Amino acid sequence: MFGKMRKVYGGFFRAGAQGAMAYRLNFMGFFIGESLYCFVMYFMWKAVFMASGESTFMGFTLVDMTMYVFLSNIVGFFTGTDSTRALAEEIRDGNIIMRMIKPVNVDLSLLANEVGNNVVYFAFIFAPVMLGVEIYRYCALGYVAFDIVSFLIFILSMILSYILSFYLNLIFGYLAFWLMNIWGFDILKGSIIKFFSGAMIPLAFFPGIVRDIFELLPFASMVYKPTMIYMGKISGVNILVALGEQIIWILVFYGIAKLLWHFAQKRLAVQGG
Amino acid sequence: MSSNNMIEVKNVSKEFKKIIKEPGLKGSVKSLFHKKQEIVKAVDDISFTVEKGEILGFIGPNGAGKSTAIKMLTGILTPTSGDIMINGQVPYKNRKKYVKEIGVVFGQRTQLWWDLPLTETFTVLKEIYQIEDAAFKNRMDFLNQVLELEPFIKSPVRTLSLGQRMRADIAASMIHNPKVLFLDEPTIGLDVVVKDNIRKAITEINQNEKTTIILTTHDISDIELLCKRIVMIDKGKKVYDGALDKMKEKYGKMREIHINLKSIEDMNKLAFTEKFNLLEDDLEVKLEGKKATIKFNSSKAQVSDMLSYILATITVKDIAVSEADIEEIIRRLYKG
Ligand SMILES: Nc1ncnc2c1ncn2[C@@H]1O[C@H](COP(=O)(O)OP(=O)(O)OP(=O)(O)O)[C@@H](O)[C@H]1O
Ligand SMILES: [Mg+2]
Repeated sequence: MFGKMRKVYGGFFRAGAQGAMAYRLNFMGFFIGESLYCFVMYFMWKAVFMASGESTFMGFTLVDMTMYVFLSNIVGFFTGTDSTRALAEEIRDGNIIMRMIKPVNVDLSLLANEVGNNVVYFAFIFAPVMLGVEIYRYCALGYVAFDIVSFLIFILSMILSYILSFYLNLIFGYLAFWLMNIWGFDILKGSIIKFFSGAMIPLAFFPGIVRDIFELLPFASMVYKPTMIYMGKISGVNILVALGEQIIWILVFYGIAKLLWHFAQKRLAVQGG
Repeated sequence: MSSNNMIEVKNVSKEFKKIIKEPGLKGSVKSLFHKKQEIVKAVDDISFTVEKGEILGFIGPNGAGKSTAIKMLTGILTPTSGDIMINGQVPYKNRKKYVKEIGVVFGQRTQLWWDLPLTETFTVLKEIYQIEDAAFKNRMDFLNQVLELEPFIKSPVRTLSLGQRMRADIAASMIHNPKVLFLDEPTIGLDVVVKDNIRKAITEINQNEKTTIILTTHDISDIELLCKRIVMIDKGKKVYDGALDKMKEKYGKMREIHINLKSIEDMNKLAFTEKFNLLEDDLEVKLEGKKATIKFNSSKAQVSDMLSYILATITVKDIAVSEADIEEIIRRLYKG
């Protein structure tokens, strides 16, 4: 069953990977942009720490903060999929029918495309950035703080985050069946995720009840939790809780996406000859 | 369901809701609050059956509802009402299972992977349809030979010309030995040679494997060369269903006389309408320089009578008679 799936969707995966390779230059641009953003954030937080005169801020040292900036960014980068735009475009121009005439699930075939895409990015960007982060940490602390167990759990959490993010994006993409232009919604979704996922500000910095609520929302599972796991700020049984929450949110969004697809198929109006 | 019918379509309709937007910004704002909707009946109560191994030509003017019908037959769209049964299945019910045994080409789109070399596209399809190695190899050899894919099989799909891409798309639709093929304008925009290739592939598949095929086209030669039977639809409704020959018989009474005139003024001496008592629809006269074409209904005026009348009235350099082609017949049908 699993082998069969791998075979059937392997093609979509390879197509995604080849597509990414064909447009390699794109991600160089992307990479430079993201790096610049990280350094801007780093200098901003540094200024905040200097101004406050304290060595820790809400439990974060400057070293923590620097790690957080780079880690959350790379997590956000990998788990943020392009599926909303890709799907909405296929719905709008009608190319989604080319998926529908093949014996595959539309969502899984799209996921396979996206994963294929991301694997290429992963190879080119993830490893160097992680290495950079660890070298920085070693220089700052004077000892190797890398923990293989945290790292593996972090990878698992990131994969869950990816699936969660994929289905959330899919839901927004399906909106294109009802609204021919989802541009505004896509921007709104982007801002919400950026803010509530902890990609901009660690959720730990928010006051009491606000922070508790934010941490319960699905967005926290997308960036904040994997990052905090890697940094060792979520530990012990709380790791299981965090992973459990991610899985619950995946199920919720998966269910909603399936439901929307079911309705959409009934009233599907494919555009164009 | 008669055992011989591969496709049964019963009273199928498809309605689209169209949102009417008033022009301008004011209209856009207004449409946010209350939408005016109009219902378009793209397919209107159509019924027909197709036997196993038959090639059916599906024709009609632009916007007639051909593509919409194909989308319902391929399980992409759900009919608003009516029943479809193909290969013993209801297309839109269990889409994934149903599409395993059909092949589809939408001439205006591609089902190939844009960034993959063509060979890899076929490997991907092999996996998707779970085709055995030996069967796949045979199939590729056959398609390669009929559609001449070899010269560009290593190129990424995005670099193919329209004709190459279309051949590849046709091959992709046939790779898994489908029982039914749906071809929506498979020859659109192609030159004669490529059209010929594609027709050959369609014919061979049909003959070798008894594949049932529905094909839409605006190219009448496709119909003449491939289909014995046609279904014509117009404004969503079926207007003709039957043998191509019968249609020719029924509507094909038009003949053309081509004259090379000595002098253009001579044309004024000819009064066909009065002489043969013709109605407006029975006659059409075209004049291009000194070349005149007289198209007329031969059941109202005998060809021989027409000829003798012309030759008796004027002097001509040259005169020839021809049968109106099927294109002309269809044009008249569309009009009526
Ligand atoms: N998604 C849609 N929403 C609204 N109307 C639609 C939609 N798709 C098709 N239509 C309408 O349905 C009618 C039939 O369209 P269809 O594409 O089936 O025609 P066709 O016979 O394939 O034409 P052509 O020969 O130009 O390809 C047209 O009037 C078209 O405007
Ligand atoms: Mg069409």
